[in-house]
Amino acid sequence: MAEDTATEDPGAPVRFMPQLIGLDYTIKTNPVAAAFGAALADGRITGHRCPSCQRVYAPPKGFCPICVVPTGEADLVEVADRGLVTSWTVLTPIQYAGQKEREDYALASILLDGADGTIGQQRLVDVPLDEIRMGLRVEAVWAPPDERVADDRGYGLGSAVSGWRPTGEPDAPPSAYQEHTL
Amino acid sequence: MPSDTDTTFTMELMYRRSLGPVVGAFLTGLRDQRLLASRTAEGRVICPALEYDPDSGDAVDDLVEVGPGGVVTGWTWVPEPLRKHPSDRPFAWALVQLDGADTALVHALAADGPDAVRTGMRVVPRWADERTGHITDIACFVPEEG
Amino acid sequence: MRDVAIVSFATTGPLPAVDDTETQMLFPVISEAIERSGIPRADIGFTCSGSADYLAGTPFAFVGNLEAVGAWPPISESHVDMDGAWAMYEAWVRLQHGDVDVALAFSSGISSRSDLREVLCLQNDPYYLMPLWADHGSLAGLQARAVAEAGLVDEVVDTVAAPPASDGAAAVIMVAGDRAREVCERPAWIRGIEHRSDPHYIGVRDLADVPSAQVAAAAAGVGGGPIDLAELSAAHPHEEVLLRRAMGLADLVEVNAGADPLMVAGLAHIGAAATAIHEGRAGRTLGHAASGPCLQQNLVCVMEGTP
Repeated sequence: MAEDTATEDPGAPVRFMPQLIGLDYTIKTNPVAAAFGAALADGRITGHRCPSCQRVYAPPKGFCPICVVPTGEADLVEVADRGLVTSWTVLTPIQYAGQKEREDYALASILLDGADGTIGQQRLVDVPLDEIRMGLRVEAVWAPPDERVADDRGYGLGSAVSGWRPTGEPDAPPSAYQEHTL
Repeated sequence: MPSDTDTTFTMELMYRRSLGPVVGAFLTGLRDQRLLASRTAEGRVICPALEYDPDSGDAVDDLVEVGPGGVVTGWTWVPEPLRKHPSDRPFAWALVQLDGADTALVHALAADGPDAVRTGMRVVPRWADERTGHITDIACFVPEEG
Repeated sequence: MRDVAIVSFATTGPLPAVDDTETQMLFPVISEAIERSGIPRADIGFTCSGSADYLAGTPFAFVGNLEAVGAWPPISESHVDMDGAWAMYEAWVRLQHGDVDVALAFSSGISSRSDLREVLCLQNDPYYLMPLWADHGSLAGLQARAVAEAGLVDEVVDTVAAPPASDGAAAVIMVAGDRAREVCERPAWIRGIEHRSDPHYIGVRDLADVPSAQVAAAAAGVGGGPIDLAELSAAHPHEEVLLRRAMGLADLVEVNAGADPLMVAGLAHIGAAATAIHEGRAGRTLGHAASGPCLQQNLVCVMEGTP
């Protein structure tokens, strides 16, 4: 924008208009996400087990979207802080303003032991990028307790888990993740 | 951090709107301290200029100059301006029908108070010192002197 | 035209700032509407929702809201970035195709997380009005004065305050033909439903008139018989005056007016007008929805209890 106006003749017709829309929001943390965040701060990953289909949602939603039944504290379960990689991608950070990443890194979808859905966009650490594979067993690297900030809307794990590193266990067989790949 | 704390954030979206020949001409006119209107096939003069006749939907590309003075055809008082309003002092939003136009332009009207504003009063634009081709090239309208 | 009726309605009503997510807020409302209809969820052939992601500040919130519907296995659905009344209109059009007999329309709005005086500026003309951040209360003030100076009301006010924001959700089940008679003792048959818009830039409008409401009401058949109850989306007293005049309801005694929660009020008014028929309190009712500054867009739905 600045380029356009700087290089144009000041008397030339105006062809474009900059428009900055800035809106302020205050997000309330819903009760289900608040309880999930409190457990994360305590080093635990929790979910809700659907009383109808028995699927475990971690993070919990407060309902099962497939059976369309509500879930609550009676359905609370704890899932493991370890699981397997179902899918991943390597990101090459473009150095736009505000970019904090400098090196290529990998984000993965992780299927936690005891959960029936994956948690997306999880950082993989302590593994060469060309050795990442479906079925790779990983465990959480927890952030220090005072740095565990949950996502206020209950998505993902916030900053509670700083990354996932290989456990050294044998890879999970395809049958363990074939229903969870996109 | 307590998880039940409200979280605040600002969502910012920066757009670069293409203006086209009619809106672009109007905003170019503002930069040059001229007020342009579009004239429909029926001869209705619309300011600010629209690319279409709001009655028929037909395209309009005939531009004519109007103003700079005009008449307030409607208004409302703003006792406590919001931070994004074009004035940080109490002001009026006014519908201004510029001389030669058949429709009204919405803009801020600087006045001492609601008692100093009335429908039918004559006003003129106060131009912004720096003009870039934007509706805020008119800083506000002010009562016509004399 | 195919006979289509609203057979059930559920709503939260206006809520103060909710803690729940939009989806959590919708969940019991949609379930309640479906249960009241007595129709299995799986029989819903089309679903349409209305909401605005700018309100709660969550991009693609309308996709997440489908989790409150039961959208797996995949369902036929659509969304409008408007009051749920327009979602209901789309569902009504879908039912007119004839291959689907049951439709769900729902809407949700969480206005408590942002400043509506800023967010609603985004619905204004983007070149001439939006950059001035002319808030909806101020624009309503321009219309209030226009109404007063036209002699339509006695009192002239210098300033109009925007009404407080509220959150909420609503849902209706619409059913075509004999299936509606099977599930509902007194279905609210939709006799006419139309929507129209006045020009976008308010400076070209006569703010003391609402032609779009007049045309929509005429097209929906409001004048075809006496209206027992009108449910109007009017945020201010002068808007009710304008709507009564435009729709020919000037002498109607039973009018229920109000315009919150945003994105929900219109569908909720239509639902309330339908409920009056379900409960035998009225024979012919009108539900109305408005959108945009100064009653820019209007939707009118006329319902009757007799088949």
